[in-house]
Amino acid sequence: MWHASAPRTSGMVGLSLGEKHFIQGGIAHDLRCDGRKRLTYRRISVETGVIPHANGSAQVRIGGTDVIASIKAELGKPSLLQPDKGKVSIYIDCSSTAEPAFEGRGGNELAAELSIALQRCLLGGKSGAGAGIDLSSLIVVEGKICWDLYIDGLVVSSDGNLLDALGAAIKAALCNTGIPRVQVAAGTSNDEQPEVDVSDEEFLQFDTSGVPVIVTLTKVGRHYIVDATSEEESQMSSAVSISVNRQGHICGMTKRGGVGLDPSIILDMISVAQHVSAQLINKLDSEIASAEAEEET
Amino acid sequence: MGLPNAFEDLSSELEVDAFRRLFPLRYFERHLAESIRTDGRPLGKARETSIFLGAVASANGSALVKIGSTTMLTAIKMEVMTPSLESPDEGCLAIDFFMPPICSPIVRPGRPAEASPVVSKQLSDTISSSKMIDLKELSLVSGKAAWMAYLDIYCLDADGALFDAALLSAVAALSHLQIPAVAMNDDGKIVLVSDEDGRKQAQEPVNKEKRKLTLRSIPFSLTCILHKNYILADPTAEEESIVETHVTIVLDTSGQLISLYKPGGPVLAYTSAIQDCVALTRQRVKELKSFLDKENPDMEV
Amino acid sequence: MAGKGGATPATYSPSPTTDKQKPALFKEDWVRPDGRGFHQCRPAFFRTGAVNAASGSAYAEFGNTKVIVSVFGPRESKKAMMYSDIGRLNCNVSFTTFATPVRGQGSDHNEYSAMLHKALEGGIILESFPKTTVDVFALVLESSGSDLPVVISCASLALADAGIMMYDLVASVSVSSFSKNLVIDPVLEEENCQDGSLMITCMPSRYEITQLTVTGEWSSPKINEGMQLCLDACAKLAKIMRSCLKEAASDSKE
Repeated sequence: MWHASAPRTSGMVGLSLGEKHFIQGGIAHDLRCDGRKRLTYRRISVETGVIPHANGSAQVRIGGTDVIASIKAELGKPSLLQPDKGKVSIYIDCSSTAEPAFEGRGGNELAAELSIALQRCLLGGKSGAGAGIDLSSLIVVEGKICWDLYIDGLVVSSDGNLLDALGAAIKAALCNTGIPRVQVAAGTSNDEQPEVDVSDEEFLQFDTSGVPVIVTLTKVGRHYIVDATSEEESQMSSAVSISVNRQGHICGMTKRGGVGLDPSIILDMISVAQHVSAQLINKLDSEIASAEAEEET
Repeated sequence: MGLPNAFEDLSSELEVDAFRRLFPLRYFERHLAESIRTDGRPLGKARETSIFLGAVASANGSALVKIGSTTMLTAIKMEVMTPSLESPDEGCLAIDFFMPPICSPIVRPGRPAEASPVVSKQLSDTISSSKMIDLKELSLVSGKAAWMAYLDIYCLDADGALFDAALLSAVAALSHLQIPAVAMNDDGKIVLVSDEDGRKQAQEPVNKEKRKLTLRSIPFSLTCILHKNYILADPTAEEESIVETHVTIVLDTSGQLISLYKPGGPVLAYTSAIQDCVALTRQRVKELKSFLDKENPDMEV
Repeated sequence: MAGKGGATPATYSPSPTTDKQKPALFKEDWVRPDGRGFHQCRPAFFRTGAVNAASGSAYAEFGNTKVIVSVFGPRESKKAMMYSDIGRLNCNVSFTTFATPVRGQGSDHNEYSAMLHKALEGGIILESFPKTTVDVFALVLESSGSDLPVVISCASLALADAGIMMYDLVASVSVSSFSKNLVIDPVLEEENCQDGSLMITCMPSRYEITQLTVTGEWSSPKINEGMQLCLDACAKLAKIMRSCLKEAASDSKE
């Protein structure tokens, strides 16, 4: 029944039967092709401030996967339903050179899927509760003016685990984001749109303590692994992406297709993700801190 | 002339269903020779027709119509617009006909069916030329606000005679339409007035109570297909795929001709054939009107 | 008459005069808009064979949420497709213009097609129709909350009606969270102010989850509770779907 797990997601990885067995066997024995254990990440490197004109930006490399996130803040009007909150939109683009399969319009479907998954993981419920990004900190004048954050992600090069890398890049870019201080002219009546003065010098640091990380567990055979490479992803039977914040709470979850899973396995995956995420958050924090320090010097 | 005989020989051995798929025209003509159609109807008879009003609860007017398997769902949503300078006292009626991918195997997502813009245009032409509704009735405040009625028809199941079913569902939805009670507020915006708080509002209501449109005449239609000397009323999708000559006749309730479509086709119809079609349509209009009246007992025309 | 030539003027639908107060959802005595218990689903109605032109179809009605799903095929894959030794599944979800309270808002949900695909693919035996494509097209006639779960359940019934081989029927249910409370099968008003949501698609007889999405912040015990609620509801829903299929089969025999 090996064809049940035949590659559906990335048909471009041409693997022989022997190679497939080798990958599956390695994972079963907790020794992956690149020498990692099942729950070990590849080397993560973070660089912040890579795009000077953005309010914040970061480039994250995990093994051969390379992604960039940039954040642009613009003044806008809050929605009628939530007058006390700013707005955030997330848009991901897959560069057509990142993977052969992305050529032409091939990357669009994946880009849309990643955008939706990130929105689900970072923006919380409809009421705005549980959002990783604190939307109420983006308000300038209630019901009148707020900041709109445009988060753009770009996949430069793809070697698996895109969602986790994009999540990390957005977190790092948010840490790097300075939002200009806004002076609101006093004395305008209630009906008018108040006049504002946007400062060029003073920036407010964005609070990112609540931003979760995303951990994707890829199930190959009877085991699951973190940070799968493209080759490993081609052998997956299913994958679950779980976003976890510092408190260990789940902030979003998506099962990414494939075969069905027993509920008990999903619950087990959640507890593994909570465990792994604690380490990942610490690792990312220290990488981001050193990247920020480097940028300043 | 040896070929037809070869068919004849084959047909005796073939299963009925296979014969129907392989030689649709011969199958069809054999039935016609017996004055009966493939679904057992006499030639001039339309399929069973049903009308259900109020199918979409959230709309201001709606209707679900079935002619045989062909199913149409129509809903009207009333919105407010600023009327154009040329006609400050008139509202607007926008008619759209959709064939979503669920309705037929030939429609695919992202590629709209060829038939849908054609039917859409025919419907708006027919309804506007029939003078069925007076657009002045859709006016609210002259030059400032008027109703824009969005009439959207969805084909849920396509089995021939799409125009007939779409027109029937459109007029049924219009007969069911209730214009909501509204008032103009201080900002010049139109707002709904609910029954309870209607009286204590200081605002001046512009449309005091829910009302129905006056329908001056109602257009009904019948599509026939012409094959050799035969005239077949209300064709199914299978019949439409075999015979290319269609005649669609739209009459109003007093028997006046509103429109007549015969978009080409290999059969050149004699005027007598057209007259026969009109006669069939006249019968059908009576039938359809009684169906609609049954659903709408208080309707006056 | 239509549009009077040229651009259609900008229009709006008149809103009620009384400003809608945000419903007090956290109060002890809060009742749901339709008076249901927190853990009570809307009555589900299913019927197969809604569209004659399709190979299989189903209609589902949960309260005011009404959908039709048609299944076409297995039929020839598009010419551009490469050879595949397993079948392809192609899904599309669209909305009528009058489905949403404000006209034409249904087009905001373009992710539904991909999510329907993911929810169904784990349940279908794709090996049983190599080289061909099965098309699953859904139309939301009226949207009144929990649209995607209703579409998914209805689609699996339509697949069964079309005779596509499946491991099991796929049923789907969602819950909304409001601070401490979990509310099953939410309606539109509830979805618009929920703190988080959890949707499960599962195959009840195999006790397998084919699709799961969570938004908002959840603690582990709460996720547990939400999953259990959904799984129980899915099992009940699948029973209703099964009886609908049996009914249709016995009708056609007579």
